[in-house]
Amino acid sequence: MKIAVCVKRVPDSETRVKIASDGKSLDEAGVKFILNPYDEFAVEEALRRREQAGTGEVVVVSLGPAAAQETIRTALAMGADRGVLLQTDRIPADGLEVAKALAAELTNGGYDLVLFGRMAIDDYNHQVGPMVAELLDLPCVTAVAHLDIAGQRGSAEREIEGGVEIVEFPLPAVLTTDKGLNEPRYPALKGIMAAKKKPLEVKPTTPAAGGLEVVAMTPPPQRKEGKVVGEGPAAVPELLRLLREEAKVL
Amino acid sequence: MAEGAGSREQFLPAQYQPALPLDRLILKDGSPGAGDRMELDVLIVGAGPAGLACAIELAQLAKGASTELSIGVLEKAAALGEHSLSGAVVNPRAFRELFPDMQDSDLPFRAPVRKEAVYLLTAESRLRLPTPPTMRNKGNYIASLCEIVRWLGEKAEALGVNVFTGFPGASLLVDGPRVVGVRTAASGLDRDGRPLATYLAPNDLAAKVTVLAEGTRGMLSQAWCTWQQVTAANPQLFALGVKELWETRHPLDRIIHTLGWPLPRDAFGGSFMYPLAPNLVALGLVVGLDYRDGALDVHSLFQRMKLHPLFRRYLEGGEMVEWGAKTIPEGGYHSVPARRSGDGVVILGDAAGFVDVPSLKGIHYAMQSGMLAARAILGALQAGDVSPARLADYDRMVSESFIVQDLYRTRNMRLAFKDGFYAGGLKAALMTLTGGRFPGRKITMQRDAEVARHIAPGVSPGPLVPDGRLTFSKVDGVFKSGNVTRDTIPGHLIVGWEGTAELAEFYARLCPAGVYEQVDGGLRVNAPNCIDCKATDVLGPRWTPREGGSGPKYKRM
Repeated sequence: MKIAVCVKRVPDSETRVKIASDGKSLDEAGVKFILNPYDEFAVEEALRRREQAGTGEVVVVSLGPAAAQETIRTALAMGADRGVLLQTDRIPADGLEVAKALAAELTNGGYDLVLFGRMAIDDYNHQVGPMVAELLDLPCVTAVAHLDIAGQRGSAEREIEGGVEIVEFPLPAVLTTDKGLNEPRYPALKGIMAAKKKPLEVKPTTPAAGGLEVVAMTPPPQRKEGKVVGEGPAAVPELLRLLREEAKVL
Repeated sequence: MAEGAGSREQFLPAQYQPALPLDRLILKDGSPGAGDRMELDVLIVGAGPAGLACAIELAQLAKGASTELSIGVLEKAAALGEHSLSGAVVNPRAFRELFPDMQDSDLPFRAPVRKEAVYLLTAESRLRLPTPPTMRNKGNYIASLCEIVRWLGEKAEALGVNVFTGFPGASLLVDGPRVVGVRTAASGLDRDGRPLATYLAPNDLAAKVTVLAEGTRGMLSQAWCTWQQVTAANPQLFALGVKELWETRHPLDRIIHTLGWPLPRDAFGGSFMYPLAPNLVALGLVVGLDYRDGALDVHSLFQRMKLHPLFRRYLEGGEMVEWGAKTIPEGGYHSVPARRSGDGVVILGDAAGFVDVPSLKGIHYAMQSGMLAARAILGALQAGDVSPARLADYDRMVSESFIVQDLYRTRNMRLAFKDGFYAGGLKAALMTLTGGRFPGRKITMQRDAEVARHIAPGVSPGPLVPDGRLTFSKVDGVFKSGNVTRDTIPGHLIVGWEGTAELAEFYARLCPAGVYEQVDGGLRVNAPNCIDCKATDVLGPRWTPREGGSGPKYKRM
């Protein structure tokens, strides 16, 4: 089974990010970057499929700056076989341009599965996976929380509002992975050593800017400070009054 | 405990301290571990300035000698630098020797020290003191140790060194008297020690030479010295430093050190405030763990200290962006182990006690010790002889280096303060004037845990209610340390004997991270709060390594 996993380098969710002086990008100074957590589910699922099949190849593909090699190495340390970095200093805001660059790399690759994380935790767009599917003319199932594959057919479960949707699809297909699909492994020591020697091809790429432009970024409004109304039953009337008149939630 | 401010009860923390779990730390049976096994030429435990300088020097020397060396560095933090904390004002000497082709401007420093001031504080005022000769910092640089470590780590990796972050060294593998490698800590266990889906078994890293560069209160270093009965003239003494990083509105243009308030007179310590950038200020309070008042709380004293006009005028209106704490080995010359090398093993940096308290420096000694160890190790590997006699080259080189020369010059200065601040200050001045010859003999010290603690109600100020702007609770601090330790990992602290309410309160005050709480006279342990400062390892419950990546995630400490 030949599987491609598309991954993104994103700021660590525990990092306090700041908006750069241009007012429309993140200030990357001192920011720690990680493999997008939803992509970890995709990498893990690919590794499990390859392990179950006993043969196959897991190829990790990313579009991003030179530093995204580290992100790819993380996936290689988990157990992926080789990596491809489509290197660009600027990831376009328009997901379609990212999808075009990835699709150009993936087409004719002979992949049985192309996996993505459900979304990237930096832009929350949920776009690139389905767009790549469309560009490659492949079926697409998003937010997969459980997966069965038998021969050239797959069955995926999606957690939807109030229930579970079961989708059957033929291979090859594009899937985006959700939390709950699996528990991603940590890289083992041997994996980290081996990752250094695995092939990682760097291809300079110049994606078009596309039709979207980020005009401005603003931090969320500062949360108002909490207020201690009082203590014990005596404070309840005042609390009710404030909830009604100030917070207007009652 | 009797009532009334006049009553005084004493206890010795050592009485309640569990023994070092040597059977877990020194594995003699040679049976293979459950996980992977890997063979290396040199294994370094700890990716701090000592370990990384050792790795870089080794890789550079091997390259020059056209020798292939496999070098691995184990680091318990999830990423480089995340467990590193220092002031820091750095003497660039070791950097210049390690990177002879670089200019100072290429090095990972923030700014040169341009102005400096030392103050003696009282609760309301301050007295500017002449800067003691040992504390002059002309030619030194202000830096963040996290940034230094990340930079050194990249240099090491570029030279082919394998840096394994997220893998704590948990035990020494030994064969007879020889250290033959290290077993890492398991990860992915539940609270009762049962494997989860993400379980990673302990790995065995076999090495011809094992380098212990674990930093302050290194557990494997302690275990090896205990096992091999390597002692020092004095026991090692420790201090606890609590530090914060602030984005300030008011720029700071100098480094500031203070003595006196808010410390009681029988405690040794002081504060620092350094500008990493004009509006990015590191400040902290360091207190020797031989303090007498059982109710002393370093975190709380530090919070109180920030209310002093000297600090307040910079911090007001700013934002605390990081918090952390760490112990410092302060014993100096007389506390350095009699030998720092043995069969297949060497000990570097803070783990060996290479810190000079009067000048508040350790980073360049740590790096230099790493570089000297690298030279000795390469010689030993080339000769195919890692015996104690051969690795003793490292000890000889350290003894002839500026590390031991500097520590010898100030050998009694920290020790003079065991009798309190004023007597200590006078003796320290005489030592400076006589070039270290006064008082002509070694001052004998007790282990910090052997110093009796007084429980005297009313001596220490009551708990400070944090305002969330200038002052913060321990829990706020732990949050700002970036600690997101999984709260279902097995407990890693060995508490041992169930103590009294007073003892529980002592631990609660001692720990800056709120790990210990006195609840209804008993002790509650919130182990995931732990930020690996090792303070209670010195005076109470023992610290042991836990799942890799646990603990703080310092960025610019």
